[in-house]
Amino acid sequence: MAQTQRASNEPGMRLNHQKAPGTGTLLSWEEIRREPSVFDDRCTRTTLRGRTMDAGTGNSVGAVRRSKEDRKVLRKQLKASHTLLKHEGIRTTPQPTKTLVVANGGLGNGVSREELSAALGEMGELETLIMHPHKPYAFVTYRSEESARKAHVRLNGEKLECRESSVTLYLSYVNSVTCEEEVSVPLPDGLVLVEDFVSQEEEAVLLAAIDWSSTNDDFTAKKALKHRKVKHYGFEFRYDNNNVDKDKPLAAGIPQECLPFLERCVKNKHIDILPDQLTVNQYESGQGIPPHVDTHSAFEDTILSLSLGAMTVMEFRHPDGRLVAVVLPGRSLLVMKGESRYLWTHGITARKFDTVPARGPQSPARTAPDLSACSNLTLSKRDTRTSLTFRKIRHEPCGCAFPSACDSQVAPLAPPPPSPPSLPCCHADAALLEEEYVHRVYDAIASHFSSTRHSPWPRVCHFLSTLPAGAVLADVGCGNGKYLGVNPEVMAVGCDRSSALVHICAQRGFQAFVSDALRVPLRTASCDACISIAVIHHFSTQERRRAAVRELVRLLKPGGRALIYVWAFEQEYKKQRSKYLKEHPEKHSPTEDAQTGSSQEAHGESSIHTSRRLEDLQDATESKLSVHTNRTAFNTQDLLVPWHLKEGKKQVDEESREGERKDETKEKSQKTNTGFGSGLDTSAKPSASGDTTPTCGSALKSESEISAAPVFHRYYHVFQQGELEQLCGQEAGVTLQSSYHDQGNWCVILEKALGTDL
Amino acid sequence: MKLLTHNMLTSHVKGVVKGYPLLIKATEVKVNEVDFNPQFVSRMIPKLEWSALVQAADELGQREDLPGELVPEYENNEEFLKKVHRVLLEVEVIEGVLQCPESGREFPISRGIPNMLLNDDEV
Repeated sequence: MAQTQRASNEPGMRLNHQKAPGTGTLLSWEEIRREPSVFDDRCTRTTLRGRTMDAGTGNSVGAVRRSKEDRKVLRKQLKASHTLLKHEGIRTTPQPTKTLVVANGGLGNGVSREELSAALGEMGELETLIMHPHKPYAFVTYRSEESARKAHVRLNGEKLECRESSVTLYLSYVNSVTCEEEVSVPLPDGLVLVEDFVSQEEEAVLLAAIDWSSTNDDFTAKKALKHRKVKHYGFEFRYDNNNVDKDKPLAAGIPQECLPFLERCVKNKHIDILPDQLTVNQYESGQGIPPHVDTHSAFEDTILSLSLGAMTVMEFRHPDGRLVAVVLPGRSLLVMKGESRYLWTHGITARKFDTVPARGPQSPARTAPDLSACSNLTLSKRDTRTSLTFRKIRHEPCGCAFPSACDSQVAPLAPPPPSPPSLPCCHADAALLEEEYVHRVYDAIASHFSSTRHSPWPRVCHFLSTLPAGAVLADVGCGNGKYLGVNPEVMAVGCDRSSALVHICAQRGFQAFVSDALRVPLRTASCDACISIAVIHHFSTQERRRAAVRELVRLLKPGGRALIYVWAFEQEYKKQRSKYLKEHPEKHSPTEDAQTGSSQEAHGESSIHTSRRLEDLQDATESKLSVHTNRTAFNTQDLLVPWHLKEGKKQVDEESREGERKDETKEKSQKTNTGFGSGLDTSAKPSASGDTTPTCGSALKSESEISAAPVFHRYYHVFQQGELEQLCGQEAGVTLQSSYHDQGNWCVILEKALGTDL
Repeated sequence: MKLLTHNMLTSHVKGVVKGYPLLIKATEVKVNEVDFNPQFVSRMIPKLEWSALVQAADELGQREDLPGELVPEYENNEEFLKKVHRVLLEVEVIEGVLQCPESGREFPISRGIPNMLLNDDEV
């Protein structure tokens, strides 16, 4: 029951259809309702109200006359406002103030402080400019409200050409600046950063000691990895099994030139024992290394990393989702021990620019190593950095206090998946198939799945908006509750088979329970309306699909309506390819797999992915279920669709990735969102580096070149044209109100006959 | 689980005829503050099984002075609507069970969510 929990002050909404003097067209509620684009993110009336009031020029509510271009900008601005509210908790206001939020003008968009400051400064004197790291917006406060108004009028919808990218800015007034990350986050446990550990002379000596040109593999094991350059001394670290060949030491031990440095480490009590393995990594601008934990069983606790050359930003991630970004200046020593070495992953996102504290009178003289404490930030161009990582080979199994990340202590990887299933012929088999290939999968991928399901579909919203106030709505197969809050005037209750997804609904303040769609524990004829969006195609026999429809019909009151969406076999309809197909499937290569890493989406929503065609799973006999290749047309109705799980990251929106396609693959996943104008990107965080060679000792075993993300398979029966209609036609007491194709789905609206007795 | 939701839920165990209303045995109940929307409450009332609501509120010890019968002309009776609003939308069962009145089968409520899944043999 979403709507009463929101702070709504008006029970209903009434539009004043006043004409402002001199204006022409009115936009009535009906007109607006017909226009799906108005129902952007939430399809709520707040958006609508915001739109009409946010004309920005003081027009009276309900009266808007705009050119097409203006309307487009206005729409995008509102969409941006809405996304800001929904995902960042930033509340915009139509009333002019001195402070504006500049959507798409953030560090997360590749916009530097200098560039934005210059553009904004033209409108008037700036008081403050706040740019939080990784965020797709900035806050600007002008000395005067007049300057803010000027900026709002002149810059809204304008393109800003930056070094890194070109963005379209959308400005809205705010009453207060949200400062999420004012509190300084402590460094991970066991992590110590010592700046100026070596002098410039020492740095030069060390860099010279590394001979990259040597091709003599007897002495060193120089590997031409796809991106950064790597060289090993003492023992070779192998990227194919993420471990060290302890019985085969390299001819070349740690260079003599490193001894003074090591002695200093001992003297300063960073280590007790001298390391016997050295890995040198050289990163050019745009290169990085994906997040990983150094293999427990290969190396002892303390790991020393000396940064030479340019500064960089290293990101530490805790399994619980915490992220700490640490600036590593040149000539600094990083000591990783304990939790920071055994549990947190560390990585360097492949980028050309890092967000670092800005120099200048406003920044403190000694900035905290972690970026969260700073709001005065800017971009720093990367340069060549060489890291020397010293480790001690471990000869006994690791007995650390972090077994979850420990390869000595955890069981080896689960056995490979069982042989592919066949189409079931009875309920029991069907239930088992669905348990394995639907329910278990959704429970496992719930939060990732939920993060990719953030935009309600306009036509579903439209259906919901036509329901009368006070209607009882059941969303059977509600997933993450995407539709439960769309129409705040109805009493919406959701149910889903996945407990994990239902919990997400509860977190969002909706009423939901766990149940099967074939046996919904609601009273017969208790609902004014039902929706079943992308659910019935998970049932593996026609009988069960019919039963699902029957259950929906049972729930309806006479005169009530149900909306059903299922995935269509025909992804191209009336010469229009669905969004699911629109992205061309990439030529699959293992490294690209690692680069994109994002999961595919059914139904043409955000994010792209390619999957491997697992030839060995495709069977000649018809009854075996084949694995589908994402983003391609379907060639069979019953299939398994891969889902590549990505941990804890929100997906970069499909549209924003289009610009990345041409880039070098290694850059692709590093480009942050292009912001609000182009799509509903909810995250400005750069995704994990797509670099190919994790030195990860974690349970995700993989070949060195291939992404370590686990793959799940979901069962689908995709419907042919007319099939859904026919299925519903078999039910007594319902009539087909409407039937259509919507972005790769077949859809029907059913109405329960009046005077029906079920 | 709010009582508005409870009012709609029923036991669907195989063979059960009188599975409604489900009995509530709560070990943790919360009362939230929810914006009062008189029109919304007023519209919900005709969709409710009033006696089931009263019974549920009783079981939770949250009935207060909610009348056993619907008062006439409640649409404009703000005081009454507020009482209804409270039991319907503000009272929430966080932990407990829902019990089928006929078969005794218990459905757990955990972190506010009822799990109504039946085992294969109950379907």
